[in-house]
Amino acid sequence: MTHPLQQFAADSSGDIFTSLGINGQMLLFQMVAFLILVFVLGKWVFPILMKAVDDRQDAINAGAKAAEEAEKKAAEAQEEVAKLLKEARTEAKDIVATAKDEATAMIADSESKAKTRADKIVKDAHEQLEKDVIAARKALHNDTIEMVALATEKVVGKTVNDSVDKKIIADAVKEQA
Amino acid sequence: MAQARLSRRKVAAYLADELIAGRDVTQQLAALLVETKRTREVTLFVRDIEAALAARGVLLANVASSRELTSDVEGTIGSFLKKATGATDVQLRQHVEPSLLGGVRIETPDQRLDTTLRHRLNQLTASKL
Repeated sequence: MTHPLQQFAADSSGDIFTSLGINGQMLLFQMVAFLILVFVLGKWVFPILMKAVDDRQDAINAGAKAAEEAEKKAAEAQEEVAKLLKEARTEAKDIVATAKDEATAMIADSESKAKTRADKIVKDAHEQLEKDVIAARKALHNDTIEMVALATEKVVGKTVNDSVDKKIIADAVKEQA
Repeated sequence: MAQARLSRRKVAAYLADELIAGRDVTQQLAALLVETKRTREVTLFVRDIEAALAARGVLLANVASSRELTSDVEGTIGSFLKKATGATDVQLRQHVEPSLLGGVRIETPDQRLDTTLRHRLNQLTASKL
C-alpha cells in the first residue's frame, strides 16, 4: 500500500499549483470577485451598517447620558427630598416644641388662675365664716342680755322689799354724794 | 289797748319771790295765762318758776320710786340734794311707779338722777350689739 506522503511526492514532480489542485485562473477570478465584493461592501454596505451602528451607539450613549442625568436628578431629588424632610422635621420639632411651650404656659396660667380663684373662694369663705361667727356672737350676746334683763326683772320684782329698796337708795345717794 | 308781752323769765322770777314770801300765786299765774292767751305755756312757766326758786335756794324735786318712801329715806335724799345743789330748802314731790322695781329717780329743774333698777336694766338692754 502507498503512503500518502509518498503519493504527494510522486505527484509534485509537475507544477506546484497543479500539485495543490489550485486553478490559477479560478484563483484570479476569485481574487477579483473578492476585491469587487470588498469595494461594494466598503462603498455602500459598510457605511450604512456603520452609520446604523453609530446611530445605535449614539442612541445608547444618549440613553446612558439620559439615564445618568436621570440618576443624577433622582439623586438631587432625593437629596432635595431629604433636605425638605429634614427641614420639615426641624419645623415639626419647632412646632411641637412651641406647642408644648404654649401648652405648658396655658396649663401654668390655668393653674395660676385656678389657684387664685380657689384662694379667693377660701378667703371669701373665711370672711363669710368670720362674719357669721361675729353675727352669731352678737345674736348670742343680745339674747343673753335680753334673757338676763328679763330674769333680773322677774327676780328683782319678787325679791326687792322695803329694806332692800331703802338700802339701794341709800347706796345710790352715797355713791353720788 | 294791747299790753306789752311779759317775759316768761321775768314772770317766773316775780312769782318765785312771791312764793318764797308765802303768798299763793296760783290764781295770779292762771289769770295771766288766760289774759295773755298763753295757757299752752303753763308747763314752761312752771319749769321756769321752779328754776327761779332753785336759784333762790328753794329746790323742788320730783322723786319717783317703786314704793312709798319712808321719812328717813326722804331725809337722806333731802340732805343729799342740799349738799349737791347748795339749796337751803328742799321740797320733794314724790310719786310711786312700781315699774321702776327699786331705787329712786330724782328730777330737779336742771338735773336728773336716775338710780332705779329699771334704768339699769334699760342700760343693760341698750348695750345690745
